[in-house]
Amino acid sequence: MNIIDLLPVALLGALLGMDVVTFPQAMISRPIVAATAAGAFIGNAPAGLVMGAVLELLALEMLPFGASKYPEWGSASVVAGALFAAQSADSPGALAACLLASLVTAMLSGWSMVRLRRLNASRAAREREELARGSASAVVGTQLFGLTADFVRGGLVTLIAMIVFSPLIRAIAGSWSTNPAYSRGAVVVIVAAVSAGAVWRIFHGVAHARLFFLAGLTAGAAILVAG
Amino acid sequence: MTLPAPTQPGPTIGVRTLPPGTWLRVYLRLFAVQGAWNYETMLGNGIAFSMEPALRLLPGGREGLRYREALGRHARYFNAHPYLAGVAVGALARAELDGVPPTMIERFRTALGGPLGSVGDRLVWASWLPLCSLVALATFGFGGHPVAVVTIFLGLYNIGHLVLRAWGLQVGFERGLRVADALAHPVLRRGPQYLGSAAALLAGIAIPLAAHRVIGEGRALAGEIILMAIVGAMLLARFGEHMEGWRLSLAFLTLFVLFSVIR
Amino acid sequence: MPVTLYRIDDRLIHGQVVVGWGQPLGIGLIVLVDDNVAASDWEQDLYRMGVPPEMELRFADVASAVRDHASYSADRRASIVVTGDIATMYRLVEGTGAINQVNVGGIHHRAGRAQKMRYLFLTPDEETQLRRLMSTGVKVSAQDVPAARPVPIEDVLGPAPAETTG
Repeated sequence: MNIIDLLPVALLGALLGMDVVTFPQAMISRPIVAATAAGAFIGNAPAGLVMGAVLELLALEMLPFGASKYPEWGSASVVAGALFAAQSADSPGALAACLLASLVTAMLSGWSMVRLRRLNASRAAREREELARGSASAVVGTQLFGLTADFVRGGLVTLIAMIVFSPLIRAIAGSWSTNPAYSRGAVVVIVAAVSAGAVWRIFHGVAHARLFFLAGLTAGAAILVAG
Repeated sequence: MTLPAPTQPGPTIGVRTLPPGTWLRVYLRLFAVQGAWNYETMLGNGIAFSMEPALRLLPGGREGLRYREALGRHARYFNAHPYLAGVAVGALARAELDGVPPTMIERFRTALGGPLGSVGDRLVWASWLPLCSLVALATFGFGGHPVAVVTIFLGLYNIGHLVLRAWGLQVGFERGLRVADALAHPVLRRGPQYLGSAAALLAGIAIPLAAHRVIGEGRALAGEIILMAIVGAMLLARFGEHMEGWRLSLAFLTLFVLFSVIR
Repeated sequence: MPVTLYRIDDRLIHGQVVVGWGQPLGIGLIVLVDDNVAASDWEQDLYRMGVPPEMELRFADVASAVRDHASYSADRRASIVVTGDIATMYRLVEGTGAINQVNVGGIHHRAGRAQKMRYLFLTPDEETQLRRLMSTGVKVSAQDVPAARPVPIEDVLGPAPAETTG
């Protein structure tokens, strides 16, 4: 893929990266949406959906509580969905490699969000007198600056991640030696463990939640055995 | 300190509801309330940004002193849950239009942010979002088509999202300084409990089914995978307070990928 | 059981406290110590709405918090004591003589405060108050949520200026 081919994906990453915090927070940035959409852009929505579900299981743990630091899933899921959808379906290492790429992107993107928040703070500090005087143009300008900067941030993160990881994923998939069963198995073990652990903790405070969870597991197991 | 009398007319325009055009402008701006989120003023600028159309109703309009004073006041530090920021914007706009003294508005503003944050975090981030996410995963696990999974998730989640934002703005403006009563709404008080129970039950079904659909060729190892996932989950549940799962996943995956490539 | 967390946080009751710390630590009781809030019904009404029904929220001024401190520690539920500023926590520490660790969870921007950390802004006077709090032997660290690494306040403030040592 050359840079021109990557532009639509970067645009998607910019829009969905914004959705995490700045606009409109409609959760189009959740992995199961973002990775599926990216897969559809590449022409393979079902592959994007599988990648999205894997990331969604991990993301159950990461709830975007306002001021705390967290990885940014929107752009990272676009990257993962696009990378995975571009791999051939019988490549055993693709899922693990794309998940790794996505986690690294989410971490870097979370870091870029912290930088953006500092940039916004220094802009607000520069405008402090105007803001205190109640200048509507300072208020609106500060808001539009933040929104634009976040759009650019998400787009750049996506673009850079795609440029770095596209060849890397191909190289990893090409020299992959672990057999397909173990490769998928390892990924599923990791994400299932993280999501179950997260559910156990998130609903800690809810009365009998753990009983509900165990009841659900029983039902889930029954469905799998019967199916 | 006591509240001003509820029917206090003040030097005001005496509206009880916002004109529809103003309401819609404020509502739409609220979707970008976190647009300039930063560590210094957090949501502050966004609150002023969202409230601005309502402040135009103040005597003197956009050129008036009260408009400028109010805007300057609300651009300062503020934090709350983004979906419930409308409660603050509505209640504070109402207080401004009612001519409530600035010192009173300051105190009200300070006391409002934390509770709105806490209510929103519990209801949205810790209950509604995980529940909808698990509905999406269950749909995927049952073999759902990509379009179906995405549509069901976004449709379900955003019904709650859009309604909550609209309710917040409406009730905030209606009640003004007395908005605490509105936060006693059973959906906000008890909702997280019920949504949490439903989500816990659904998690039990959705996680294994979703994992099963992803597993593909790994099916040969089903027994080992289940065992290891349970052990991993128990370790995370036990020690996870101080250890984020995604960091561990990153470490394990890096090792696994290196092992698979180098070997 | 002994109070789980003594926290300084100018937002008092909010998501990080109720969900971030409350859920993993299984908190059942929060004591909000603040002289102004203890005297204001409508502020109490607001803060009460920020706490889930299954958690108890008590309000106290410093004097009654010092008096009732033993009963917080005797409570069988895990509990958090939160104050909105350093001065209030200092008076609590002095008054009870039973607090060994204090968590700084957030003091935010206001005119005159300089940024020390992401969520920590202090006036020079507040810096002095923090040093005074540490000089009583209390371990003070900054940490917003349980998953974050606690940072000793010594590392944030750096070495004490010459005139305040000794």
